[in-house]
Amino acid sequence: MTISARQPRSPPTITEDEYAKFCEYFYRKTGIQFQDTKKYYVERRIADRIDKTETESFRDYFTFLRFQASGEELQHLVNSMTVNETYFFREDYQFEALVKGILPARTHNRSQRDPIRIWSIPCSSGEEPYSIALSILERWDQADNWDIEIYASDIDSRILNEARTGLYGARSLQRVPPALLSKYFLSRGEDSWQICEDLRNSIDFSLVNVVDPMQTRRFRNVDVIFCRNMLIYFDDVARRETVEMFYELLSPGGFVCLGHSESMSRMTSLFIPRKFQDTIVYQKPSKAE
Amino acid sequence: MALLRAKPSAPPESLPAAPGDDRASLLANLHSPEPAVRRGAARALTSHPEAAMALCDRLDIETSPSVRAVLFTVLIRQESPAVVARLLVHLRSDDAALRNGTIEALQEMRGTVTPHVRDLLDDPDSDVRIFAVNILGALCDPETPALLVDVLRHEPHVNVCAAAVDALAEVGTPDAIEALEALRTRFGDEPFLTFAIDTTIRRIRGG
Amino acid sequence: MSDTTPQASGARILVIDDGITMRLYYRTVLEAAGFTVEEATNGVEGYEKAVAQSYDLLIVDINMPKMDGYSLLRAIRSEAAIRSVPAVTVSTEAGPDDATRAFQSGANFYLVKPVAPQALTELARLMAGGRS
Repeated sequence: MTISARQPRSPPTITEDEYAKFCEYFYRKTGIQFQDTKKYYVERRIADRIDKTETESFRDYFTFLRFQASGEELQHLVNSMTVNETYFFREDYQFEALVKGILPARTHNRSQRDPIRIWSIPCSSGEEPYSIALSILERWDQADNWDIEIYASDIDSRILNEARTGLYGARSLQRVPPALLSKYFLSRGEDSWQICEDLRNSIDFSLVNVVDPMQTRRFRNVDVIFCRNMLIYFDDVARRETVEMFYELLSPGGFVCLGHSESMSRMTSLFIPRKFQDTIVYQKPSKAE
Repeated sequence: MALLRAKPSAPPESLPAAPGDDRASLLANLHSPEPAVRRGAARALTSHPEAAMALCDRLDIETSPSVRAVLFTVLIRQESPAVVARLLVHLRSDDAALRNGTIEALQEMRGTVTPHVRDLLDDPDSDVRIFAVNILGALCDPETPALLVDVLRHEPHVNVCAAAVDALAEVGTPDAIEALEALRTRFGDEPFLTFAIDTTIRRIRGG
Repeated sequence: MSDTTPQASGARILVIDDGITMRLYYRTVLEAAGFTVEEATNGVEGYEKAVAQSYDLLIVDINMPKMDGYSLLRAIRSEAAIRSVPAVTVSTEAGPDDATRAFQSGANFYLVKPVAPQALTELARLMAGGRS
């Protein structure tokens, strides 16, 4: 065969064994686990990365990925495998766990003068911290008895301003029941609703780079941290540093809620997994030093 | 909606005075009776690579899991041949948590681990050799697959060979297959190892 | 790994081991004997799964990342909802203290690697039984 220009390639085939090898590696590095039903989706994205990296086959690509010291390709892969969307009441079972399990646990035998602190990081355009506020107001019967402080932080100042403004379209609001929409939102023209001023003012928004200890020092004695779908984008060491920082900022017995495809088990053993309402959340031991 | 406090007062409490950021007080704080102070000191020493040996000294005697976790994390950031050498001592510890924490920390390191760990492949203790294989198998160092193949050729202990076979299921390339086949001949009466070898060859060939 | 004894009817076993080939070996042997097998790749993940779902038997490696087998068993034995699940530890260590250490952490049985398939299925039948 003579050397010729590269032929347009058909998508490389990935065998069952290669797929299994890939999934185990990807899980170990990111904590993201794929169901067998996702095989086609995963294969398509791997094929795309094989193409972009100009590697010749799955085997070549995997070797490149596995031995790249910078971890850059792994980041590309994570980005291509994850959908970063946010909307009100996304992964609602966690807000259910908050009001049914976490808050009752945090308020048991506690002085009502002691405020409850909840931190949403990254808060993106605000859907998550507002969902937390709405869940507490609407679904926690003890809400009136406590002072609740909700902090919301993101590294991106532009998106943080969106969160402060609180304007949302129908797509963001698809899970908001009409009764809540009319109670807490104001119509601002076609396909645009703004969350009411009281709620906007009740949340403390701040620009925070989570890996900078100076920027996270102001958070202390936090009861619940919502940190969903952020740590998957970090490398192993940054992930360790971040969860250890969470440990520091939480009160003993405080909780961390991660995204549904994430697990603390790949990062640290400092927290105890707890099951609330069919979801697993992570608790700092109440006798923690 | 009075329940949500409007504009929570910014810093929840006045911050504790910045812990003595000078190196001397940080080093002293590594031995504070308070675990939180020790963690804070260790973390603050991340930017002081010259404090690495002091962190290793603390790790030698530290028993609190949360402080150990932070010490390991900081030492990963401060990777150096000296740090690696100090950590390797804990592979012989009776404390399983300390041993495994050490293995994980070494697995996270980048460039300086392989030569030290390679020496442990000849250690008289088969468990230490297994740990060495576990560490090598997780590194990004492209030299490791060949070292693991060497283990298959020379290692007498079945469990050390099994650990190398397991690591090669992820990092093995076709040039490992011959040594895997030879190992099957050597340990043909060992069902688990035969199974592991078949699995690894399949993973390398892609089916 | 063929087997002529009656199949265990679906008893659920959680295998907790950081070795890829080890987990697959347990799965293959135990599924052939009729068990339902799930896997965890380290001690914390094992604990997480044991909390989230119920199992008839845990097979626990000793040397694992994040949380070793002894610590895992101590954690499980101190959590009311899951403390009574039977557990076997499997270790490469065969020193005189290792069995003691396993039992003290809450293991019901102790195996040394490499584990023969017959020993594994017999023990699983004995400890997990069969659910119909």
